[in-house]
Parts: sequence; structure tokens; C-alpha cells
Amino acid sequence: MKKTILFLLFGLFFIGNNQSFAQELTPERKQAVDSLALEKVRDLSKYIKIIGSKDTPWSEANRVIERAEELFAPDAEIGVSSLSSNEVLYYKVRKYLERLMRLNYDRVEIDWYKIEYVSDLQRQPDGTYVGVITIFQTFKGYDKEGRLIYQDTTKKDITVYVKRKETQIGGRLIGFWDVLLGDMRVKETSR
Amino acid sequence: MKLHIKNILLLGMLLLITVGGTTSCKSKKKLAKQEYEAKLTQAKTDLNAIINGETQWTLEEQRARIEEIEKADFQDTEIDELIVKAKSAIDDKQAEAERIAEEERLRELESQKVIEKETSIEDYFAIIAAAPDAETANEKIAEAMQLFAAPDVPVLIIIYHLGDIVDYDAPTTAEKYLNYIKDQKSVTVRVNNIKYDDNNKITELELIKK
Amino acid sequence: MKKILSLCALYCLFIPTHIVDAQTYSNLGDVQLDERALYTMTKQMSQFISRFNYEEDQYGKKISSNSPEYRDRMKRKTVLPLLFDMENQRTNGSLRDFFIADLTESDSNYFEFLGGQWYSEVSATFKWKGKDVDISMILTIEEENLGSKWVLTNVYFPEFNKLFPKGDIAEQQKHFLHPMSHELDFMNIYKIFKTPECIEYYADKSYSADYLSLFFYEIKQGNLVFEKVNSEKFHVFQIDNWYFEVSWFNREGYNTGWLISNLIFLKNNEKEELLKFYQPNINK
Repeated sequence: MKKTILFLLFGLFFIGNNQSFAQELTPERKQAVDSLALEKVRDLSKYIKIIGSKDTPWSEANRVIERAEELFAPDAEIGVSSLSSNEVLYYKVRKYLERLMRLNYDRVEIDWYKIEYVSDLQRQPDGTYVGVITIFQTFKGYDKEGRLIYQDTTKKDITVYVKRKETQIGGRLIGFWDVLLGDMRVKETSR
Repeated sequence: MKLHIKNILLLGMLLLITVGGTTSCKSKKKLAKQEYEAKLTQAKTDLNAIINGETQWTLEEQRARIEEIEKADFQDTEIDELIVKAKSAIDDKQAEAERIAEEERLRELESQKVIEKETSIEDYFAIIAAAPDAETANEKIAEAMQLFAAPDVPVLIIIYHLGDIVDYDAPTTAEKYLNYIKDQKSVTVRVNNIKYDDNNKITELELIKK
Repeated sequence: MKKILSLCALYCLFIPTHIVDAQTYSNLGDVQLDERALYTMTKQMSQFISRFNYEEDQYGKKISSNSPEYRDRMKRKTVLPLLFDMENQRTNGSLRDFFIADLTESDSNYFEFLGGQWYSEVSATFKWKGKDVDISMILTIEEENLGSKWVLTNVYFPEFNKLFPKGDIAEQQKHFLHPMSHELDFMNIYKIFKTPECIEYYADKSYSADYLSLFFYEIKQGNLVFEKVNSEKFHVFQIDNWYFEVSWFNREGYNTGWLISNLIFLKNNEKEELLKFYQPNINK
């Protein structure tokens, strides 16, 4: 019963509210929102490492896929192209992550460059802020004998939607930033 | 305290005069009257100071002084009235002091309790983040969940705070947040506030970005 | 040789010696690799704009608009040369230097996201009459309600252009309906339909073909079917008396990412003509 009440308090009182937040943000506040957006991308990068790692138990990998999927807007897609062809292959987020889990290598190394770039947040007509965060990843796949059989470096441009919302929790009105990842463009930059 | 010393000196002087005696009866009477007047004035000053809360004596010292004045039996109606007022003033102060002390004691006790709880949930954050594998982390998560009233207790994370403006990350739940720490293997928040139910279980956890 | 040396010195501006500490956000990565090329790369068009205006420092850290560093002219002068394709004479010589001089002589020549007069050209493949064709779509940023969005302003599809050749003036002048045609119930009008290739000569003088409408028509008819995006680049007309193009360079070295790939000195009156191609309805 208690659980249900908490759930009700927590879950059902979402009040979409972007009209009331039309004023410009101060640079410091914007910086806090930028950092929050970047944190979601970092979360994703950690999830990708866990999912890709062959040491991750199957059940854990599946749970992490769920969590990673939750970071994205429901209709987000991932567009992947390689150096050899500019053809863009489209994946739903879950498909992309499951594909990562099932890659046929004996050992996989996924690493992220320290460099990240966060664009300015622009507003779209409905008031939602939208930005793009760029990160770089290296991927290495090894066979049973420990030989490196595939490697690439990819640039990932990730759409970030930031929306101001309000919700009631324990009788209090909480103003929060809802950050959702949108489409992600994955481009191979070198091999 | 100064007043007190002054009174003692005065009393000493009086004693000396009384015991030592004087040669002239007239002057003796005059002196006695002067002493009485001085003592009376001092008693009134002290009583008024007590009534108006202007003395620096402790409540005990104030009580002792009133008793002393009472014993002196000045046969003065004003003094009698002042004594009644002073006694009641002291009683009020005593009652207030007792309540304040009790309130402080309870607050101290409660804050200690909160600190203990905070430390332990924060400890769990660190333990879960540092867990060597998923299995260990899951065990610690199960333990930490005991501190919460339910797995879906709301967890709020403050990302920005200036004056009246408080910005939060999207609210999450205790269970999700503990798993999040397990996956991210790092703790980037500290506890800002905790709400408990009657069973001392956490019903709301508010964190703030470090 | 001197030029090469000075360019090397310029690159150093973008390559921090203490890479890890210098970034605003520096905790993501765990790669211990040479990241200098990624630092110099202009990674997003947003970064191009920030660098172009000197709104971020050489480490990629945003400069607050209250800071005296913000849009600092001298620093901007040293950063701007890094935003050009070094392998193109037009963008790696005196013209570039003139452009930089003009940009930094006053405090008004900035590239603004919502400043208008900049376009994205998206080159895409469509299926048309059973074959693959390339069509360039031109888009611009339009403000709406609380924010902005990209909107289509024109398309370039050679097959459409072929339908409306310029034709020579003498030929054009042969085609008209005489001014008393109305008295005869326009019995002569059938003739204009006998030469469809010249039909537009019978339109009023302000007429111009609307390729975007043709494009929509063909899409709605199902004759044109979208297949894929091939590339994108940007055309910027915002700077007084200059036009430049920004393209993506994915290659080895330190001259990569979004860079100025074409630069033209273009007086503002000439610019207007060119703008009509990008946004035919710009003044409507």
C-alpha cells in the first residue's frame, strides 16, 4: 500500500511546463544544465562499455541495456556510417545496444577519448532546448588467440533534449530538467 | 557578580558597625537608620533587577538573594510586593530554561540520529561504487535498500541552487539510483536532506551535486 | 616555408600541453592516445561559430559573455586562420588574410546562429523515374514561437532547371499574346500550348519558377522518393561583402572538421542576386 502511494505521489503528478520558463538562463545556470546533459552522455558511454564487455554477465548486460534505453527519447535512432561507405545504417537504440552485446569477438576494448564537445543549447519552437554533444570512441575486437582483428575510431554526435518540467513530490513542487538523448550519428573517422 | 560582591561588602560593614558599637546613642540610632535605608534601597534595586531580567546572577543566586531579603524582614510593603513579583519572574525563567534545555537535548539527539543515517547511506554509496563485481554490488544494494521505506522512494538530485532557484535532475527512485552508482562506479553527489517515516525508514532522499 | 612555420605555431594554440586538466569537462575518457588532432578538429558547426567569433578559448572552454576575453579581437585574429581549409588556394592566401582583416577591424562582424542569411545545403539521393538522382536541398534557420527550426527554402535539381532554360531574349520576345486577344475570346491562346518548352514566356515579367513547389509536387505524386543524405555543407552570407562556404573535412592532421572551403569577396548588391537562389522568397 505504502509502495503504491509513493508511486502515485512520484509518478502521476508530472506537469509539463515549459511556457513558464521562457526567460533566458543565466550563464551559471546554463552551465549546470550543460553539465547535466553531458553527464547523461557519460552515463551512456559507461553503459556502452558494460554492454560491450565480454566479462559482463548476460543478465547484467540486459539490465544495463534497459537503463541505457531509458536515457533516450522513445523515437531516437542511431545512424551509423563507415569510412568505406557513406551509406547510413539506421538502428533503433535497443537494436544498436543488443548488436553491441552480441558482437562476435573474444574480447572487446571500448575506450573514450577525453575530449568532449558540448554545443550551445538552442531552443526549438516548443521551447525545448536542443544541443549536440560530440564524443570519440575507439573500438578494438580481438580473436581467441588475442589477435587484434578489428579496430576503428568513431565520432559520436548525440542530440540532447532538455526540457523544464515540474512534479509534486511529498506535497512539494519540484522543478527539474528532463534530459533525454535523441538521435545519435556515429561516423567512423579512422581505422 | 559585581552587585553580589558589593552586597557582601555592605553586609560586612554593617556587621562591623553593629558588633563594634558606637559611643553616642543618638549617632548610633542615626547610623542604624542610615544602614536600614541603604539596605532597603539595595534590596529594591536587586529585586527590580531580578524582575526586569537585568541581573547577571544565575537563577540559584537570584533565588538566594530573594530569600536573604525576605529574612531581613524590612517591614516595607513595596519590598513585599517586589518579592512576590521577583519570585514569579524567577519561576517563569526557570520554566523557560527547563523547556529550552529539553528542546536542545532532543534536537541534539535527533540531529545525531540524522547524521548517523546520512553517514550510513553515504557509506553505502561509496561501498557500492567501489564494489569489485556486480554480484558484490548487488548484495550491498540489497542491504542499503533496508534503509528505505520502499524501493521506489523518490531520490531528488539538486544540480543548481542559487537563492530561491533550485534546479533538480529528473527524479529517480532509491533502487534505480543505487544501481546507477553500481554502473557508473563513482559517486558525484552528497546527501543534502533525508526524510524518515515513523519506523525510521527513508521516505525521501535529497542529494546535491558535489 | 615561413608560412608553414607560422601555421604550425598557430596550431599550437589549439593544442594544449596539459590536455587533461585544460578541458572544461574532462572525466569521460580513459584513452591514453594522442588526442591533439581531435582538439584542433572543429567538431561541430556550433564550435565553428564559437571559434569564428572567439566565444570559446583554445581548450574548447566557453567564454562567458561578461568576460573581457569574450570576442577578444586580437585573440580572434590568431584563431581565425585555423578555420580555413589549408589545401585550397582561395582559402589559404591573401584573400583569407583580407577576410580576417575585415572581420577583426570592427566589433560587428560576427556569425550569429539566429542572424539569418546562412544556409545548409543537404545533398541527397532520390529515386526519380526509376533512377537514382542527386538533389540539393537548401535549408535555413527560421524563428518560431519560443525557438527556431530548419526550414526548406529551395532545391536544386538539374532536371527542374532544364525545364526552365534562360533562353535568349530575342526568342523570348517572339512569344506573346497580343493586347487585343480578349476581343476574340482568346481564340489564339491554343498556340501557346503547342510549344510547352516556351510556356513560361507567356507569364508576367515578375514570374520565376518555384522549384520548391515542383519538388513538393513530385514528392506528393510519388514520382520522387527519398533515399539518403550524402553530405551537408553551409553557405554563409552574414558577413558584409563576403560569402563563405563551410564543409566537413575528415582527413589526417590538424586541419580537419568544419572548415571554410570557399571564400568569395562579394559586394552586398551582388550578394542579393546570389541569395535569390538560396532563398527565393527572402523578401516576402
